[in-house]
Amino acid sequence: MRKVAVVAGGLCPWGVRKASWRELVQEAGKAVLDDAPDLGKGEIDSLFVGAASPDRFAFQLHVAPLVADMVGIHPTKMVARTELACASGQAAVRYAWLAIAAGLSDVALCLGVEKMNLPDMAEAQTTMTAVLDREWDAIHGASAPPFFAMCAQHHMKHYGTTRHQLSLVSEKNHGFSSTNPYAHFQRPIMAANVEDSPMVAPPLRLYDCSGITDGAAAVILASEERAKELTDTPVWVKGSGQCVSGNNSANWRSLDVWDSMKQAAKTAYGSAGISVSDIDIAEVHDCFTISEIIAYEELGFCKKGQGGKFIEDGQSRIGGKVAVNTRGGLLGCGHPLGATGIAQVVEIYEQMQSKVPRKRQVPDPKVGITHNLSGAANVHSILVFGRDR
Amino acid sequence: MGKKRSDPKLVLPLAMDFCSPQSEDFTRISRFFDELRKGRFMTTKCKKCGTLSWPPRVVCPECQSDKLGWVSLPKKGKLWAFTELCMGAPGGMEQDLPFSIGIIELDKIGLRLLSRIDTPFKDLEFNKSMELVVVDMPGDKVFFRFKAKRSR
Repeated sequence: MRKVAVVAGGLCPWGVRKASWRELVQEAGKAVLDDAPDLGKGEIDSLFVGAASPDRFAFQLHVAPLVADMVGIHPTKMVARTELACASGQAAVRYAWLAIAAGLSDVALCLGVEKMNLPDMAEAQTTMTAVLDREWDAIHGASAPPFFAMCAQHHMKHYGTTRHQLSLVSEKNHGFSSTNPYAHFQRPIMAANVEDSPMVAPPLRLYDCSGITDGAAAVILASEERAKELTDTPVWVKGSGQCVSGNNSANWRSLDVWDSMKQAAKTAYGSAGISVSDIDIAEVHDCFTISEIIAYEELGFCKKGQGGKFIEDGQSRIGGKVAVNTRGGLLGCGHPLGATGIAQVVEIYEQMQSKVPRKRQVPDPKVGITHNLSGAANVHSILVFGRDR
Repeated sequence: MGKKRSDPKLVLPLAMDFCSPQSEDFTRISRFFDELRKGRFMTTKCKKCGTLSWPPRVVCPECQSDKLGWVSLPKKGKLWAFTELCMGAPGGMEQDLPFSIGIIELDKIGLRLLSRIDTPFKDLEFNKSMELVVVDMPGDKVFFRFKAKRSR
């Protein structure tokens, strides 16, 4: 396998944007190309578009060639849209990594996008429920919030996780997103604000939930040879892991023990040749506050059941054991499904180049990971990045 | 003045019906719905390896045999997890808010499945006894939910 590096990253401002799907694509395309001034567009030989549901959000299929139009590139090697619900963006990066590592591509653009705010919000809610088994589970009115609410219910019951610990995750991530001009939510909030916010699905309240957000993000990956010509400070893709445990509720073995996440982490760390103690910075999939707490545990940052204590002790803040979600996470940045996994990679890339605002800069990060879950936490996808080859 | 145009509000292609076609023209498991209509709750079981599947299948996910038979499922179970959706319902369900959702562990066989629960959230607790109810769905279709069993 060839070595692969991230050589550029960029994103558009996220939020309830007065902009269409294809305008978000153009903005993120410009951002990433502006970040790679030495790269001729003609060198981009492959394109992977992370998009969960342009079919319904933008009534558009065959989106990868449309993105090529919007960005003005003409890939000659590989092109595809990747759909893996909330992990669609990371799927794009994983395929680009694979294509370059295998020698099929030298320079690949990964662009993730979702336009979720439409005139009728029920459209977005309906689309998102179909991430679950629509005929047998979503038909009951189930969607992500009730699922993660039950995960929180079980985690509280089995491990004594508290309402306040959930709130601290939101407080931390909104604190970080207030330093991020691209984030949907730019005002810091306190734990008490979370507890005063409207109930969505008990025990989860509005500020326990990531936002419905419009956004796009992009990275460029390159082979070692090309990476060294393009930048003095590439960020290397060191490894990856992924694990699947079905979709239908009959296969939800546990709500608060996510075995497939633990397995994905084991594969990812093994392929990268790292151990968990090497990780300085992690972008994890905090679609809900409870998911970040369970992520601490299954990623091995703390023992099973100690995720609540981990946030309470400040171990996921800068200066703690692992700085988690420094860009603000999904809670602070919002969650445009296809863009999230790529924006997380942009954060690791910029952290390793010391390009983020000082307030959220992790001192000298050498190893970082990005994690996305998708569906009812049935799939976990993890990428490992390193400043050193 | 020209003729007034029809409502200019953007109408996106509507969500496909949550309830897929249930008749034998569209699915090979139409028997599930025919039986449900009569109050029977069934699924498929592999005649070769004995694996019980949920939801019903046409090929066994364990041994890939296509010789499957129909068996009855328990219509009673215990509440394993539960919550209530208070906002953000999918299209066509907004008028039902708030409504309860839970995971039921069916008696005897231990199969757990998600269901809407026709009992108010405040009346739910872990391990509460639940029973199946059959509900009419738009377009002459049927589906199931659960509700708390009335205590004697």
